[in-house]
Amino acid sequence: MPFVYTEWQHFTTKDGLPNDHIFAVKADGPRVWIGTEGGLACYDKRTGKFRTWTEKDGLPWRVVSALDVDPKTGDLWLGMFGGGLARFSGGRFDHFHQLNSGLVNDVVYGVAVENDNVWAATTAGASRYNTVKRKWTIYTEKNAPMEEIWNYGVSYNDGKVYLGVWGSGVLEFDVATERWKDYLDPDGEMEIDLYRDDGIVHVITTGTSYIDRVLWVSTYFGMCRYDGRHWRGYYAKETGLPSDFGNAVKGRSADEAWYATDRGLAAVMDFKTDTWVTYTMDPKTHKGKAVVQRGSTVLKTIALEKTIPHNYVLWTEVDGSDIWVGTSKGLAWAKGSGYYPRLKAVVDNRAKPDASLTTGDASK
Amino acid sequence: MNRPMKTQLLTLACVLTLGISAYGGPGKRSVPATDQKGAAETAQNLRKINAAGTYGIPNIPPRHDQNYARTSKDLQPFGYVQPFKRHFLEQMIYSGPGRGIAEPGKLAAVKIGFIGPIMSTVSVATGGASHEETLGIKMLQGAQLAIEQANDKGGYVKRQLPFQLVVSNDNGLWGASGNEIIKMAYRDKVWAILGTVDGANTHIAIRVALKAEIPMMNSGDTDPTLTETNIPWIFRCIGDDRQQGYLLLDYLYGKRNFKRIGIIRASNRYGRFGVREIRDGSRRRGHPIILEMAYQLGTKDYSLQLERLRDANVEAIVHWGDATDGAAILNQMRKLGMKHPYFACDRCVSDDFIQIAGEDAEGIICTYPWNPMRQDPKLDAFREAFQKQYGEQPDTYAAHAFDGVNMVIWAIQTVGLNRAKIRDILAYRKEPWQGVTGAIPLTAALDDGGDVFLAFREKGEWHYYSRRDLGLSR
Repeated sequence: MPFVYTEWQHFTTKDGLPNDHIFAVKADGPRVWIGTEGGLACYDKRTGKFRTWTEKDGLPWRVVSALDVDPKTGDLWLGMFGGGLARFSGGRFDHFHQLNSGLVNDVVYGVAVENDNVWAATTAGASRYNTVKRKWTIYTEKNAPMEEIWNYGVSYNDGKVYLGVWGSGVLEFDVATERWKDYLDPDGEMEIDLYRDDGIVHVITTGTSYIDRVLWVSTYFGMCRYDGRHWRGYYAKETGLPSDFGNAVKGRSADEAWYATDRGLAAVMDFKTDTWVTYTMDPKTHKGKAVVQRGSTVLKTIALEKTIPHNYVLWTEVDGSDIWVGTSKGLAWAKGSGYYPRLKAVVDNRAKPDASLTTGDASK
Repeated sequence: MNRPMKTQLLTLACVLTLGISAYGGPGKRSVPATDQKGAAETAQNLRKINAAGTYGIPNIPPRHDQNYARTSKDLQPFGYVQPFKRHFLEQMIYSGPGRGIAEPGKLAAVKIGFIGPIMSTVSVATGGASHEETLGIKMLQGAQLAIEQANDKGGYVKRQLPFQLVVSNDNGLWGASGNEIIKMAYRDKVWAILGTVDGANTHIAIRVALKAEIPMMNSGDTDPTLTETNIPWIFRCIGDDRQQGYLLLDYLYGKRNFKRIGIIRASNRYGRFGVREIRDGSRRRGHPIILEMAYQLGTKDYSLQLERLRDANVEAIVHWGDATDGAAILNQMRKLGMKHPYFACDRCVSDDFIQIAGEDAEGIICTYPWNPMRQDPKLDAFREAFQKQYGEQPDTYAAHAFDGVNMVIWAIQTVGLNRAKIRDILAYRKEPWQGVTGAIPLTAALDDGGDVFLAFREKGEWHYYSRRDLGLSR
């Protein structure tokens, strides 16, 4: 069995969040930064308290759509949806936008810190800002293999920057060589995926996460995994994905990745055995369940008092053994005491199995 | 029955009646059975949409299409292989919490956004030249007329508030359309947005609409990929280049028996994506396009492209681009002695084209998303009102914008001021919208699946022929 998260805590405006619509979450040691549709928040895990910033506190624009922390300086970088880019440092916001910097567009979907550089995925290309030399580089179809320039997500790890580009698949930027490589759907058609594992499942890409030399990808048409040689496509009809509409992805290892979808949260917990755990919330009772699947076969359904606060999941973040989940109606903290990777032959006594312990095809 | 409930029901009855008159067509004294069915279905959908609340999804079966965009077997990509996954067959569902947001209290007007190219621009995305203002201005006129007519009938009936159009120019520079949608969604607080024309700018706009959760109605962008994005917030009320391309393909190969077609197109997104189905479809039907030549926007000399096409020994030429370019190309073709049959996209059915092409226009055939010569009292009334208001006849951009805004107004009147519910009532509607441009049945991808036409220039006039008129089966 894979590890199943059974201890969940929810946060909404009643607990101090500036807004319940959560676009981004970034764990940073004892702090957790939260980007919402109505401001920025920071949760201190030691005190259990929130601090918030809205426009009246100097936040340049209310909609915070992306977050990353510079590990060298501790600065927080914010991508704002229609408000450009900001650096939060020493209690001050520095604002970078189309008219005062090399930011290519103010509609920022993703932000990632790469060494001394900050990348912003915008609706009209990507910008890379060298924070030491204060130099901007803009990437569009003119100097990168972007079939379209509509950047959606950006992530950095291990010498590689990955851009998820709407209409242009995934672009890989090798930091050492400054060379680009593109990953497109080999069939080239919007209305079909000819073969599941022949490449990225679709060119309308929303998120990327690179870890342990494995690239995890989310799209609005299914998800996928690439190990540098083989692609594996994931669709709801044969996995634990509650939907093919993927808003974001976060990889924890080469074996485990978390997918934020519009119908719930799904994690590939063990790639090799295709084992999934899917978390959803009952719209009527607001109670939850975790479904353990191997492919489309349900192994176990675990009824939980609480899982995610809403099934429309926009973001997910790995924080040590814990998982943070941003939804369009609140934030969730899944506490992973006793977490173990991949699978274990265990008898899990922490959660009471559902009376209707299910085996068979998953009902989506 | 308590008073608020009674008031609500009376309002709903009034709205549904307005809806019926909106899609039933004037001149019909009694409410047809299909309209009664539509009204009953709308009322039932409304109950289910309201019942979904913050956490649920309306218990309404999503639309399911048997094949995408009614594509015939011989035009399907990789037609002889069963793909692992087919997209766009099941209607997209919005599963977020938006339905739980209460209608706001104090309001001076009910705002509807408009984004379109209404001023000249130095757009990069459109190829560097300003060329779409004439289309955007017509679109704005159609939208404004719909707003004014709705206000003449009492505005937003439930609260007696006027509708107001919040107008933005789509200048296409550096993704500016995205910034405009943000402004309309968060600052102006519009309830839905109509726009825009350029394919690239519309793509940027709809991505913003998805995150901001606001319905967008498109009446002027015929790029097929617009609704091939799985965004549950985008609707299109005009037949796209895929549908127009399919009809042209059937005519070229099924009726005229051509074997060697050449293409000349604009080098922008409109030209590139407009001919995609023609290029792919020709190959799939066993007659690959012999030569495809692109020209830069703003060029005046097409001799290079035309001479190459002539030398390639093509039987007919298809043009995809703006009207002025299309006409200049036609003139230069004829000057070069090229007597090839000339086919073009819907943008060439315009006064500009005729003015420049002159007598050369005779005999050309264009695709067209509707039949403006159709006998329909509703269309006649629209023409008359438009002529009275603007002193000229409406074109395709004005007519489709008029329909698009009316669809949005109908949705607002039916569900109230809630963006998710406005989306829902349009998305779950099964009955085609009966607009001035004809029937608009939405597909599972929320695209216009209605009839498209071929416009023939015959004896100095445009004549419009449907698939049926031309004896073409799918």
